Amino acid sequence: MPVRKRSRLPREWWVGYLLIAPFFLLFAAFTAYPMIYALELSFSDWHGAGVLHWIGWSNYTYLLTNADFWASLGNSAVMWLLIVPVQTIGAIAVASALTRSRLRFKKTLRVVVILPYVTPLAAMAQAFILIFDNNFGVVNTVLGWLSGPSVGWLTTTTWAKPTIALFVLWKTSGFALIIMLSAVQGIPTDVYEASAIDGAGAIRTFLSVTVPLVRRTIGFFIVVSTLGISQMFLEPYVLTRGGPYNSSTTSGLYLYNHISASDLGTGAANSFLLVVLVFLLSLFAVRVLRSKED
Amino acid sequence: MVSNGVVPSGLSRRTLLQLMGAVGAGTAAAGVLSACSPGTTSTTKALASVSPSTASGSATLWFRDDDLLKVFKTLLPGFSKKYPNVKLTLVGVDVDTKLPPALVSGTGVPDGSFFTDNNILGQAEHLYDVSQLMSKYTADTVQYKLDVNSYQGKLVGIPWDTDPGLLYYREDVLSGAKVDPGSLTSYDALLNAAREIKGRNPNARPIPLEQDPNLAMQWLMMLVNQQQGTGMIDANGKLTIDTDAFRKALTWIKAVADEGLGARSKFASSAQIAQADGDVISLAPWAIWFNFLIQSTFKKSVGHWRVAELPAWTPGGARSGVMGGSSFVIPAKAAHPELAWLFYEYAVYSAEGYKGVFGPNSVYPNGINTALPSVKSALDPANPLFKPLAGLGSQSVWDVGTKASLAIPAGYRIPSWFNQAATYLGANLQKLMDGRMSVDDVVKKSASAIQTNLVDRSH
Repeated sequence: MPVRKRSRLPREWWVGYLLIAPFFLLFAAFTAYPMIYALELSFSDWHGAGVLHWIGWSNYTYLLTNADFWASLGNSAVMWLLIVPVQTIGAIAVASALTRSRLRFKKTLRVVVILPYVTPLAAMAQAFILIFDNNFGVVNTVLGWLSGPSVGWLTTTTWAKPTIALFVLWKTSGFALIIMLSAVQGIPTDVYEASAIDGAGAIRTFLSVTVPLVRRTIGFFIVVSTLGISQMFLEPYVLTRGGPYNSSTTSGLYLYNHISASDLGTGAANSFLLVVLVFLLSLFAVRVLRSKED
Repeated sequence: MVSNGVVPSGLSRRTLLQLMGAVGAGTAAAGVLSACSPGTTSTTKALASVSPSTASGSATLWFRDDDLLKVFKTLLPGFSKKYPNVKLTLVGVDVDTKLPPALVSGTGVPDGSFFTDNNILGQAEHLYDVSQLMSKYTADTVQYKLDVNSYQGKLVGIPWDTDPGLLYYREDVLSGAKVDPGSLTSYDALLNAAREIKGRNPNARPIPLEQDPNLAMQWLMMLVNQQQGTGMIDANGKLTIDTDAFRKALTWIKAVADEGLGARSKFASSAQIAQADGDVISLAPWAIWFNFLIQSTFKKSVGHWRVAELPAWTPGGARSGVMGGSSFVIPAKAAHPELAWLFYEYAVYSAEGYKGVFGPNSVYPNGINTALPSVKSALDPANPLFKPLAGLGSQSVWDVGTKASLAIPAGYRIPSWFNQAATYLGANLQKLMDGRMSVDDVVKKSASAIQTNLVDRSH
């Protein structure tokens, strides 16, 4: 009778798995488990204490039939429109100019653009509130000198979203620039030389060479920006608290409002709806990008 | 040796990873995160008394990280003398932000905490029932504070201060407009005074109309509580928004807005400070904490402000209403809840304690004058705890404030979803002030939205 050889994992394999185990443990504890737990919460009525009541799809149907939920998505969509196209086009243009032109003070310019990104948001927001204050803000003071109207930048439904978008542009354009700079700087110079030999001007080169060659980066940036805006919370919270009349309550702030009120089930359902939405939007962006490449 | 990603033993890489994931998830579930699991906390449990002579150990209490923490620390020597074997650590934290997650997760829970009344009932199930311990003090406690701390017939908070609504006015502006402050005994008289002031100074907008939805809603609730002796819900939990009291208060606010008698700005913002310190705002029906603006931020108008009880809605009606307040809570998961209680009992219900906090101390040499105790026996007109304010022309706020504190109608109940209601009632109130909604719209739409989104969904 043949002796059955006892199979064992080679020693070096165990060492390998031991070394990567911390990642899996942390992932399980702080990502996988909370996600599964949140999914369970989204089907329950639980306020942080007592027994969890399973209520099926109730939280989802409540949100999907609630005007406030859709209004928060609408506010986020407007924010996206006000921020992402402007930021994307602006970042490529500036990155291209910084890379290719013979601008003086390039380094100073880079520092100026990136400085708001590395400055704490709360400090930036306080400065911004002072600048755009209805009564004492610098902007309205200058408008007053020019006999212009006194605008409620952060206190009227017309201006609250554009003013918050302006703040986000000011704060995060440095990040966009870093990404686009790395992409534009990766374009081989001989492509530009060939373009010049063909007689292309600066705008033609930008549209026909720079933009197509950084398309993947643009796609990546749009997906990341979409994620960021779907989660946007701090900016409206600090500047307007979602007002006036909830007109600047973004989907992230709306989600926070449920969680801060210990309405954890609805908050969890809201977060999963956002996950699905962002996934679909990202998928759409990737598909569009891929079809262009095909 | 490995070939094609399969371990020779037959234990595939996938299986091994699955096992590790399961172990990790299991560890997390059973260990670190087990405290978060639903159903692990039951409803409020009662906290029994402990004999002072046997009290020993150490406890951690949370306070807001401001001057109040320093004031309460001045009580520690007296407390230690009474309870030499008890060591307390008073810590300053952002209570409103940090306490709820600590209570929900059960991690880093203090033995007791300062907490604003608006937030208490939302966390009631995480707190001890202190009814038994409070039984000997309830008769000596302002009733509305007991009401805001009551949850399903149990007391889950120990009342600390009252914040009565008062009427602040600029004596110089009123005398310039020939308005007798003594005549401001009704809200109609207040409107007439505002019209007189505006008649003399077209730039004046004498009454502040709060721009923050949360604070504006709280201000509205003061006007409503003053009339009907309830909050946004009655004792049975039924919404009271569609009532005469709400309509009357909203109609008055609308008149202020429509006639250009109200200044729109956020409380204590640079805009409001300039308006009140200039001649724009001169009549402020607001909480006693308006004192801090007069004392610390106004420059030109200091000494010109005076204070009186609120006008009444009906002749002989209440002259004050609920405008804030805080209490102490003891988490159900506190390690030494009995020690926390001993400190709160000492701070709130002993004369040494409340005199130490509200009276002159090393932090406030003239005493705290932006709140009043919730202990009735401490609200004695003959024994003021704090001194008159220079900013109010050396007028005694104590005299006015104690009357107002005792006049706050009982029956004020704060639903667990109170703060969320600002999304609907607070926002609609802003629209009313901006002339974009009628009183009827505010009442109907707010009541409907709150019923659907908050009442029907609360447990």
